[in-house]
Amino acid sequence: MTTDTQGPRARAAIAGTNATEGRRIGPDGAGLDGAELDRAELDRADVTGTDATADAAAPERGLRAVWELAPDRLRRAAAAVEELRERGVHLAPVRHHSPACAVAVRRAIEELRPATVLIEGPEEYTRLLPELLHEDTRPPVALLSLPEGHGSPGGASFYPLASFSPEWVALRTASETGAVIRFCDRPSAERDRPTTAPATAVAPGDGGIPAPTAERHDAPDPAPAVGPDGGPAIGPETPAEHDPFARTLMSERYLAHSRSVAALARRLGCRDHDELWDHLFETRSPAGLADWRTTFDDVFAWAALSRLDYEDEVLAADGSLDREARMSARAAEAAGPVLVVTGAFHTLAIAEALAGLPEGEPVRGRWPEGGYGPQATGDAWLIRYDHERLDGLRGYGAGMPSPGFYERLHAAGGPGIATQVLVDVARAAGERGHQVSTPQVAAAAVAASRLADLRMRPHPGRTDVLDAITSCFVTDDGGIGPERPLGLAIAEVFGGREVGRVPSGAAVPPLVRDARERVRAVGLDIDATVPRTARLDARRTPAHRARRQVLALLDLLDCGFGRQVTGPDHVAGRGLGLIGEEWEYCWTPVVEARLVELSHLGATVEAAAVTVLRQAEEGLREAGAQAAADGAATLVARAAVVGLTAHLPRLVDLLARTLDTDRDLGSVVAGARRLLGLWRSRVELGLVAAPDGPDDTTWDERPASALPGGTTRPDEPGGRSPADELLALVAQALATAAYLVADVGRVGPDDEEAAVASVLELRALARDANRAWGGDDAARPPTGHGPGVRNVAAGQEPASAVARELARLRDDEGAAPAVRGALLAVGAVDGDVPDDVLVARVRGALRPGADPALAVRFLGGVLRAAPDLLLHTPELFDAVDGAIRDLTPDAFLAVLPDLRRGFTWLRPTETHRLAERVAERTGSRAADVDVRVRIDENDLAAGLAVERELAAVLARDGLAHWSGGHS
Amino acid sequence: MTTETTTEATEKTGTRADAAGEQRPPAEARYADELAKLAAWDAERGAELPPGWRLSPRAVRAFVVGDEQLGVSRKFYGDDPLVDRAVVALMGRQGLMLVGEPGTAKSMLSELLSAAVSGTSTLTVQGTAATTEDHVRYSWNYALLVSEGPTQRSLVPSPVMTGMRAGSLVRFEEITRCAPEIQDTLVSILSEKQLMVPELGPDAREAARPGFNVIATANLKDRGVHEMSAALKRRFSFETVAPVRDRDFEIELVERQLAAELGAPGDRPAVPRDVLEVLVTVFQELRSGTTRDGAPVKRPETVMSTAEAVNVAVAASLEARYLGDGRVTAAEVARQVAGVALKGDEEDARRLRHYVDNVVRERARKDKGWKAFFDAAEVLWR
Repeated sequence: MTTDTQGPRARAAIAGTNATEGRRIGPDGAGLDGAELDRAELDRADVTGTDATADAAAPERGLRAVWELAPDRLRRAAAAVEELRERGVHLAPVRHHSPACAVAVRRAIEELRPATVLIEGPEEYTRLLPELLHEDTRPPVALLSLPEGHGSPGGASFYPLASFSPEWVALRTASETGAVIRFCDRPSAERDRPTTAPATAVAPGDGGIPAPTAERHDAPDPAPAVGPDGGPAIGPETPAEHDPFARTLMSERYLAHSRSVAALARRLGCRDHDELWDHLFETRSPAGLADWRTTFDDVFAWAALSRLDYEDEVLAADGSLDREARMSARAAEAAGPVLVVTGAFHTLAIAEALAGLPEGEPVRGRWPEGGYGPQATGDAWLIRYDHERLDGLRGYGAGMPSPGFYERLHAAGGPGIATQVLVDVARAAGERGHQVSTPQVAAAAVAASRLADLRMRPHPGRTDVLDAITSCFVTDDGGIGPERPLGLAIAEVFGGREVGRVPSGAAVPPLVRDARERVRAVGLDIDATVPRTARLDARRTPAHRARRQVLALLDLLDCGFGRQVTGPDHVAGRGLGLIGEEWEYCWTPVVEARLVELSHLGATVEAAAVTVLRQAEEGLREAGAQAAADGAATLVARAAVVGLTAHLPRLVDLLARTLDTDRDLGSVVAGARRLLGLWRSRVELGLVAAPDGPDDTTWDERPASALPGGTTRPDEPGGRSPADELLALVAQALATAAYLVADVGRVGPDDEEAAVASVLELRALARDANRAWGGDDAARPPTGHGPGVRNVAAGQEPASAVARELARLRDDEGAAPAVRGALLAVGAVDGDVPDDVLVARVRGALRPGADPALAVRFLGGVLRAAPDLLLHTPELFDAVDGAIRDLTPDAFLAVLPDLRRGFTWLRPTETHRLAERVAERTGSRAADVDVRVRIDENDLAAGLAVERELAAVLARDGLAHWSGGHS
Repeated sequence: MTTETTTEATEKTGTRADAAGEQRPPAEARYADELAKLAAWDAERGAELPPGWRLSPRAVRAFVVGDEQLGVSRKFYGDDPLVDRAVVALMGRQGLMLVGEPGTAKSMLSELLSAAVSGTSTLTVQGTAATTEDHVRYSWNYALLVSEGPTQRSLVPSPVMTGMRAGSLVRFEEITRCAPEIQDTLVSILSEKQLMVPELGPDAREAARPGFNVIATANLKDRGVHEMSAALKRRFSFETVAPVRDRDFEIELVERQLAAELGAPGDRPAVPRDVLEVLVTVFQELRSGTTRDGAPVKRPETVMSTAEAVNVAVAASLEARYLGDGRVTAAEVARQVAGVALKGDEEDARRLRHYVDNVVRERARKDKGWKAFFDAAEVLWR
């Protein structure tokens, strides 16, 4: 790999073997010659017109070598950069979140003391400078823009700043030197309408812009456009629209996908463009980086490589050219000397435009006649950010990965941080149960530096340290494993845990402020960076009730603040008997960002929640009547849980109307079940007038009649509490259900199972509803087959209509057999059907000559509803046993699958008792009957076929009795 | 890429002729010219060699992953950082443990590293259940032992001992197939870098010269392997070698291996690209348990490694040459997959039938290659 033997290979030593810094010599005597760029590689990268010879002696500056042999365009641009410098316009190409670039930017500002510092970023951010420069502001923070009208969710975009971001360092250093600071990129409001720029900027007949450009802008669906290297992004971005962080203003899609960068990475043995960057820049010594001219020249060369991979059409379509036009125009009009800090991807275009080169025409042609005028304004907010969000490894494409690593690099002021990182990873792994010994750490430190030697880097870079960990900390074949202790430790150390801070007076959208105040007011911890757990007893403690309400409110907004871990879920209607509940919550930057994003919904949390509810209502209305009752009931539940009781009447009204149209018994029953659950939890949900003192009564200890307004006649209007409203709705739902019961009898075989389930659910609901109305067994535990429906005073309770309809269906010979069977069984359990009637009906259904398929469906219904009847009622057992024995072998085989399924409703102990019964009857042992046989259907079929053949043979030979009694 | 492949193939054919008589010469013989080039490159650069090494770490790396400029072919694909780590690990005090499924080219990597670092890859202990301590330490020439007593002359050194004397890398293949107590013989050797020979006297010992280290390969999950003690684990850097995931790349690998085993395509029935595609697709899908469209497939217990795919291709090619009409089709592949890859396991055969029924049947309707595979499999795998 020595230069001398390379023949025509180019030495584009953009790694910066340079005079000022001296050659970085590797242990093998080679400098960073590894950064040599193959000429062919450059050619492949659509670089044309090169006529330079290859063998360049060690160049004065790393960048020069590229220019010497690179296309004319790059050489002219290099000259332009130089010339601009003399004119007092200094271009500072950076990679976002690069500590190396940050060092160079600081040095440049300190040395130049420019009058103006321009920073790539939407112009409206300039207004936020006081907050950004406030002494209380601590990175990582982000500037946040919302799309115009704040309409579509997920449209927010972020401009993150870490302590090691060149932009952040530029802001702080420029402020120290007293420079005027301006953001100079296209306002974020314009990125959503890219058509305007060319239309106004392009003079008619201007040949500088390819015709297709404008057309592409007019296209309704521009290609997903992400700002190239760090430019504020334009237009819709990467997938995952629900994820606010899918959109970042510092995306690097272009660099990641550049063919030239990929080729260079391959050439240098780097696995991707991130490692390539580290190889070329981050492992340089601070002294070398401080030679900012060289550093910037090298960054420029590195980015120009990828820039040349993209055609002007592409760059026009995604808005790059528009943005570069504005940035270059701002640079031209700024009071000099001026330093322009932009993503390196844009530097080439800006330099060409400013220097008046012909290649700069596409950009310069976009300059508007009268200039861009005063700085654009618009809404933007400074929010705190965190490393986790910043980490490019997490798939947000937000720049360099591993902010934790680079934070250390930046803080240490030099690249020798491998050992420190290794020690921290070892400790973090130890905390998670993966012990790493000191010798292992030492071995890893040695390995890291040897890897760096091998890869020709002066210091171990990020990948060297990671590889050293892989080599020395792993002692099995599982690798690092993202979910294993070591993987988590690496994620912690490399990802970082920093959370930024914004000054207390910073302008936050009102919704965020309100949410913060609400959370603080109820005593939840807002400053924790790791999730906290709140254990709440909402039933007894009003303070806990308030906390739960806030947590639920923010949950309704789906802002990721808290999530319920245990306890009653009133919306889903689960765990309603539980007393305590647990919530996990954490006020992360995501929460804040999400709230900012939702700020168009309302100024307070309640207002936003109401909007969310209303949107859901709209959705329900549009969805039509299908299973709408349960949906509406869910909405009622959500409103009740978050304490928006004022809105209950409207929702109740909606539900009442949907009940009229919903034709789905299952949905109606589920909705009523939800309402009843809410009513039961009325105290902890605050749906009744607050009781005096600590309230420790449970629902069934508080007779409904004791509630204000009374509930024995729920349809009486006026003066009712929300709880009464709910109960009234339950009554209405029960009536609707009773009406729908008849339909259930008419279902086909395929829907039978669902029908049986809703009938049984309805019967249970009716029983529970009776208690709510103060039935005479109100204090009974809700489990067990106690008398229920039967005990209702005739005609008085809404549930009685249900009972009547169910009984009618039970006796309807034309109804679906499984439904009839199930109703018969619950009738027997409830005592409505005497045992002899039960047995007679079952016998009738299973009588010889009956269709075996129907018979088995009937039996299936019985077993589904009350499988234990078979054990408790010997006559029933006999009837079933006889019926099964009487089946012909073929009929038996045909119904076998359904039969087997029917018996699965038995609990294991019941199965065993049944097996004993069968064994008794057939003269075998229960253990032989109740066995789990591991065979599949084919085996079974084959076995049965063999058995049948055998039986036939035996019968032919007059030995039928050998085959064991069947048929 | 094409030219490169051709040159390499010719190169290999050439070396094969040179080392006539040997079925498979060791890496240092096969690639003698490349090793010489790299040594010259080191000398020219004045590169510093780690004590006992024949080549600089960078040259070792170039030997394994190739360097176009130097005319060194790439021999190991898929994970260059792993090669870096392996080279660095060998410079340290710890041994290098290459773990992974069978057929992931662990042994090849260890052979290449030994050839490059020490100039020899033949100091090898092959781990089996029958491996004894003698294979790891030393044994005796019993005739001499009886006549002369324990002397240096009557002592028969193991490859490990030879490696210690010479300052060479020693390969320990399939270490987990040895009983744990045999494996543990290495513990003291690796930590103290010396071997006591009490039979020759209380102070008799063999001290390892610089350059000595151990590359072990192991399979931690296969059937019939033993556990490894924690003490031994601590003395190794672990590197997991993963199976190849890229389909095109695996096809290329199989093609190269075919050329290496059977000679250039001219001398043998050519295996057409579409047949290789079928073969590699079958292997990749059965290996990963999902089809390329993401549909689940039942994974056989047998390891569907690239090495097995090569075996199938070789067998298919031989079948076509000696038993068929000289053309390799997917039908030969289907027949060989059953025998070569499945090793007669009944459960695996059922999984394969499921694969044929669910995946291949559908493809056979649209694609001739898959149709040939399906027809052959239909008959054979029932």
